[in-house]
Amino acid sequence: MSAIFEGDAMSAIQKSHCHTSLNNYSPQELALEIKAFISGVDQTQGRKLSVRDHARCAVRLLRTVPACRGAVLEHLRGVYDEYVASFLQDLEAEGENGGTGTSGGGSTSISNLEDVIKEVHAVLSEFIKLSPKAWAPLVSTWAVDLLGQLSSKHAGRRAAPHSSSLNELLQLWMSCAATRSLMECYSQCLAAMLAWCPDACVDALLDTSVQHSPHFDWVVAHIGSAFPGTIISRVLACGLKDFYAHGYSSAEKVNQQQAIEKSCRVPKIGSVVGILGHLASRHSDSIKKELLRMFQDSLSPPPQNVPLHSSGAGGWENSPHLRRATVPFLLQLAALSPTLLGAVSAELVEFLRPPVLVQLQAQFQALPREEVENMLGLAVHLISQSPSGGARVLKFLADTATPSSVIISGPTPSPHDSIREACDRLLQMLLLHLHKLVHNRPEGDEPFPQSSAASAMPQVIPFLEELQGHIGDLCAETLRLERKRHLWLHQLLCLLSVYGGPSVATEALCQLFTQARNPEELALASQLYTPLSISLSGLLPSTVARCVAQIHTQTLDNKELAQLLNNLATAVQSQEEDRKNGGATTGSSAQSSMSAQVRVAVSSHLQDFCPLLLHGDNMVSKAAVRLLSCSQLPRACSPAHLLLICRAAVSHFFVCLRLQGESLKFGEEEVGYSMRLLSRLAAYSPLTQKAVLQQLVEGALHKGNRDLFGGLQENPGDDTTQSPNLVPDLGISLLDVNCKFGTSVNFSGNVWSVFHAGVIGKGLKPPYTPSQPDPDRINQNMQTLLAVMVQCCSSGGGSPSGNARNGSAVGTSNGCFPSSDPIISDELPPINAEAAKVIAVTLVENICPDVANGELSWPPEEHAKTTVERDIHIRRCFENNPVLFHLLRVVAAGRPALCYCSVILRALLSTLLAHWEASREPAVSDSPWPLQTSCLLVSCMGEGQLLPPVLSNIHEVFPLLSPFEVRLLLLGVWEYMRGNSPMPQKFTFCADQGLFFRDFSRDGDVARYIAPIHSVLHKNIDRLGHLCWRFQV
Amino acid sequence: MSDIRHALLRRDPLSAAKEVLYHLDISLGSALQSSSGPTPGLEKSTVDLVEEFIFHVPKDRNIQPKRMSCVQELQLLEIMCSYFQEQSKDSIRQIIFSALFSLQGNKADESRMAMLGKLVSMAIAVCRVPILECASTWLQRTHSAWCVRLAQVLMDDYCTLVPCAFSTLQNICSASPRFCCQLITAVTALYDFSSDELTPPPALLEMLVGWITEDPRLLLLTFINTPLNSSLPLGCLEITPLLGLLRWCVKAPLAYQRGRKLALTNGHGESEKGTAHEELYSKLHLSVLQVFLMLQVHMTEQNLIGRLAVLPVESVATLVEEVSRLCEKLTPLSAANHIQLALDRLAQALQVAMATGALLCAREDLRTLCSRLPHNNLLQLVMSGPVVQPPPHSGAFQPNMYPHIHSGRPSPLSPHSPHQSTLPPHPVLSAHPTHRPITAHTTHPSLSPHAFHPAAMAFPYRPIR
Repeated sequence: MSAIFEGDAMSAIQKSHCHTSLNNYSPQELALEIKAFISGVDQTQGRKLSVRDHARCAVRLLRTVPACRGAVLEHLRGVYDEYVASFLQDLEAEGENGGTGTSGGGSTSISNLEDVIKEVHAVLSEFIKLSPKAWAPLVSTWAVDLLGQLSSKHAGRRAAPHSSSLNELLQLWMSCAATRSLMECYSQCLAAMLAWCPDACVDALLDTSVQHSPHFDWVVAHIGSAFPGTIISRVLACGLKDFYAHGYSSAEKVNQQQAIEKSCRVPKIGSVVGILGHLASRHSDSIKKELLRMFQDSLSPPPQNVPLHSSGAGGWENSPHLRRATVPFLLQLAALSPTLLGAVSAELVEFLRPPVLVQLQAQFQALPREEVENMLGLAVHLISQSPSGGARVLKFLADTATPSSVIISGPTPSPHDSIREACDRLLQMLLLHLHKLVHNRPEGDEPFPQSSAASAMPQVIPFLEELQGHIGDLCAETLRLERKRHLWLHQLLCLLSVYGGPSVATEALCQLFTQARNPEELALASQLYTPLSISLSGLLPSTVARCVAQIHTQTLDNKELAQLLNNLATAVQSQEEDRKNGGATTGSSAQSSMSAQVRVAVSSHLQDFCPLLLHGDNMVSKAAVRLLSCSQLPRACSPAHLLLICRAAVSHFFVCLRLQGESLKFGEEEVGYSMRLLSRLAAYSPLTQKAVLQQLVEGALHKGNRDLFGGLQENPGDDTTQSPNLVPDLGISLLDVNCKFGTSVNFSGNVWSVFHAGVIGKGLKPPYTPSQPDPDRINQNMQTLLAVMVQCCSSGGGSPSGNARNGSAVGTSNGCFPSSDPIISDELPPINAEAAKVIAVTLVENICPDVANGELSWPPEEHAKTTVERDIHIRRCFENNPVLFHLLRVVAAGRPALCYCSVILRALLSTLLAHWEASREPAVSDSPWPLQTSCLLVSCMGEGQLLPPVLSNIHEVFPLLSPFEVRLLLLGVWEYMRGNSPMPQKFTFCADQGLFFRDFSRDGDVARYIAPIHSVLHKNIDRLGHLCWRFQV
Repeated sequence: MSDIRHALLRRDPLSAAKEVLYHLDISLGSALQSSSGPTPGLEKSTVDLVEEFIFHVPKDRNIQPKRMSCVQELQLLEIMCSYFQEQSKDSIRQIIFSALFSLQGNKADESRMAMLGKLVSMAIAVCRVPILECASTWLQRTHSAWCVRLAQVLMDDYCTLVPCAFSTLQNICSASPRFCCQLITAVTALYDFSSDELTPPPALLEMLVGWITEDPRLLLLTFINTPLNSSLPLGCLEITPLLGLLRWCVKAPLAYQRGRKLALTNGHGESEKGTAHEELYSKLHLSVLQVFLMLQVHMTEQNLIGRLAVLPVESVATLVEEVSRLCEKLTPLSAANHIQLALDRLAQALQVAMATGALLCAREDLRTLCSRLPHNNLLQLVMSGPVVQPPPHSGAFQPNMYPHIHSGRPSPLSPHSPHQSTLPPHPVLSAHPTHRPITAHTTHPSLSPHAFHPAAMAFPYRPIR
């Protein structure tokens, strides 16, 4: 006998063990034992068995009579239950008595039972060890069932913590010997069974979990964390099988609420969700991996899997039905548990490469239509609920759904047509679903009565929550205007804005404004705005404010900045154009409503835009001026802002002129905008008019801008410093030179003359060649400047702004910009006296170096000697700045402003007198500048009505006279001026023409001033006869 | 009757079941006494009551029957045990047992089987011989599929679940040999080597060999006790376990070889285990051959030779088929020894069976039957047979062609001499006139039935490795 068992150590052990324990029992004894077990009475002695002895008896039967095991296990349930009850009772007593007192009785019964429980545990674990295949399924179901029963039965006890606090629960039960022993048994079974039939034990676990739902969680949690890898995959596999068995088609009727109710009817998926939810806290990675693997496996062709996972996951991969049920199952699972959804959603999309899609499609083709509908609905729901990865999902859907011809993106082959259509549908359903969600959501500021009654809590849509962070990308995508894609995205943006409220909407609009590159793209902004404007108020102001903030933070590059400004300008202008076109076109009514608001919003931020006028980038400055030129100044604007704007606008004007000079094509438009802006500014208020004019004048005379108007550099010597490259630096210092001269300074020549001739040591100064730009351009610049000034002046600071607008409207209604025809139309608008005065005063301030003898009335001619230097300075100014005459003429047109220029006039006249006096040339035409100046001066004074008509005509004869005669005539002018001081008071306003006029009749007799003219005429009657009529009083 | 039912419905399941048993006892007992006929038919209503209150088959859709708990069930089993033990009349016991447990082909069969399994298992544990006797009758009359299930339950209980209790099963043999005989038949039908699970557990094998070597007649008990004219139901177990045991002996070397091949590919060998089994199988094979010889004695006594096929040809054909299939699966090189061993055993058994009249088969048929098997010298020999012209007067079967060299002689070395002695002397064999050695045996001394010879008990087979 022993030889036979040599090789079989296991059975030998069994044998030896059995012999020791079993030798004592004969069949009769066993029969008695059974009787004792059944009746609970010792058969030989006739007394009642104690609980402990009864349990012992049961254990003995378990070892010896196989047929009794069901009954024994059932009996042991009671023992365990009793133990748990007394355990808890002890705990409670301890809690009451502070651990002392009456707990003695309880604890003895506990200790009594404890060793029985230990015994049972030992027997069971021995059995499991010996023949796991036979015992493990039995014990595992028993243990799990008993655990469930115990934990739910005793859940209400005082000592037991609430079922929600899982950790405390776990602690309590694991400290109880009975439950711990059961747990250990179960773990042992599970460890044994995992090798060959893992599904059975997990099935039992799931069933029990469903039955004793919240109280049983600690078991699941404990088991799950003990066997995470296997439990997860088992649980999933079980769930899948069950799901399939219950028929997923009926189990998912899209609707979410129903799906939750369904979880009761499809029991396992509910507990699968619960278990995975527990494990997710610590093993989310493996859960994620497992879910994704499941998905992949369900799609990849089966023969590859068999070797890989045949040991792993219960072989569900091999059944085509189960494989087909996998995707619906996963969807359902995700629908029931946000945690799982979150775990998977982010990475699932990565797997959806074209081959996978093809397989998916092949899988679903077989399904009936209704089921596919349901799944789509579920998928849509899930997407809307997925907390992360939404952007990627969206991108995937859009990419896939976009018609293939549009897809340019590279190496991946374009997906199948039907896949594309499916994606298209999915996307549309998603949008529809989101639409419903968003619009049924009660909002804080705009409550819809019926929906707020339905659901009080604002519903969070995770998909949209997440997308809020990707608005920029969405806008960029939308603006690409790819066929259907931009429609979807646009719709989505709209939903997103409604969902996210003002901040999101603002962001979206701002992005659109920034990124749109042309009017079509900009139209998206207004399309977005129109529906939003219904629900969100004050959207555009905040949008514009946001744009401004963007500008301030300098987050935009130049191109974007220019785009933004241009877009704003376009938005503003569209209203004007509408109005011009009659405003009747219905399509643009929405646009105009937006543009009106944009206009208002922009106008309140003008001061923020004006620094951009001087932006280094032409595009930006041009866009800025465009925007400013078309936007309206706000009604109430602080002077500081106004001045700021004015200064920037004027500076920009000159920059424009220069640019125009450099490249005609480019600057022209900008100059037009600039002019418009300036005239608007001037028309806004006296203050701005004054500021604009003043700065225009100053700017025109500014050293840097002088050359624009054909001016000469005042100090040609500066050239050397301006262009040091022209002259090689010889490195000679003045100090050296002075040292060289030493004591024997040669004063033969004026030292200044030396310096004027050049820097000592550098040889002679190179002859100054004024860079004389194209006279046409100078002309044009001059015209432009004058046009601006005239517009500014004529718009009349005091007069209402309507006047100004008429002016600009005239300019634009020609269909071209005002600068494109710089010639001022014949009908010069009357120049405002005040404005002219401003120019006059500014001129004086700029040209006249000192204010001594600066009074308006003219001194005797001899007194001019005292102011020779100043006069020369002024004269030189005029020589260098041809534009001054033109300005003077503007002043003259705005009577009586020329009075204020009398200093200048006087200086010019005196230098001219001196010139003509000294002139020895036979004809005046030999000195062209004085001649021209004389003519201009006189005509100017005549225009300004400083001279009576006859006297002012004398310039007509100047070119025909000799220098002496000219001097005579000019002297006469001086005399007249001395006799009739140019006082503004002498002018009276003529309302019907809107101009001031001087009544010369009130002055003294003009005849005596005319006498020299007449004598000159007499003398040269042969040449001047035809002009005599001009001088008849 | 419905009164009883309503009354029972109100009671708890255990007492209701007890009541039904009592009712059954009373009604059947009185019926048996009143009618002296063979077996009184059971009333339909009684059967219904049994099914409803003992086996808990819902009769009424509205009323879900109260099930007994496991402890209550155990109580019921205990009551049954005691009842059958105390019931003195064999016939009543049999009738009640079959009333309870004979299968009706309805929904109750499952729970019937479960209860029966527990009852028999318990009876084994507490050694209730009357129940075991009843069970052996049940095993005889029931379709083999159900018998196999019962065997499965018992094997689960005693071999896998509670191996400690195995010795109680072992001891049953002395208490109820008839049950053991049927059990062996059922067990051989259960374990057919088709998979690892269906390979006989070593403990079982050892126990069977122990039983059989102790008393080979055990195998023939059912055969002997069954009246010849009784018609057995279709599909029931074989009347002797011989074929099943023969199947074990022949297939075991092949099956273990197959198992070893799998084990080797899995990385751990179990070669030592195999040798222990092989010794047991050799012993078993010897016993089987000896029982054939005993069978011949018995059949000769009853004048059954040539009239009753103890080994049906079809079953043998199936066995041959299985063996050839198993041989094909094995690689001939590594398993050549095992294949040869299996074929040797097959050949020996065939020859002895044919010689003893247990297998009624012409040699032509045998040739066609065994044509697909791999070559084996002994088998070849058996198939070719002695070159003897059949005497014209003989029938289809001539046992005298096969000399029964040793069978008639009681062997001093036989461990079964007491039983052997109980058998009457074999006048037919000893008095056989045409008894003479044939050439085949002399030409092949090494393959001759020396193996059967009790003197050759040292197993002169080739080494098994």
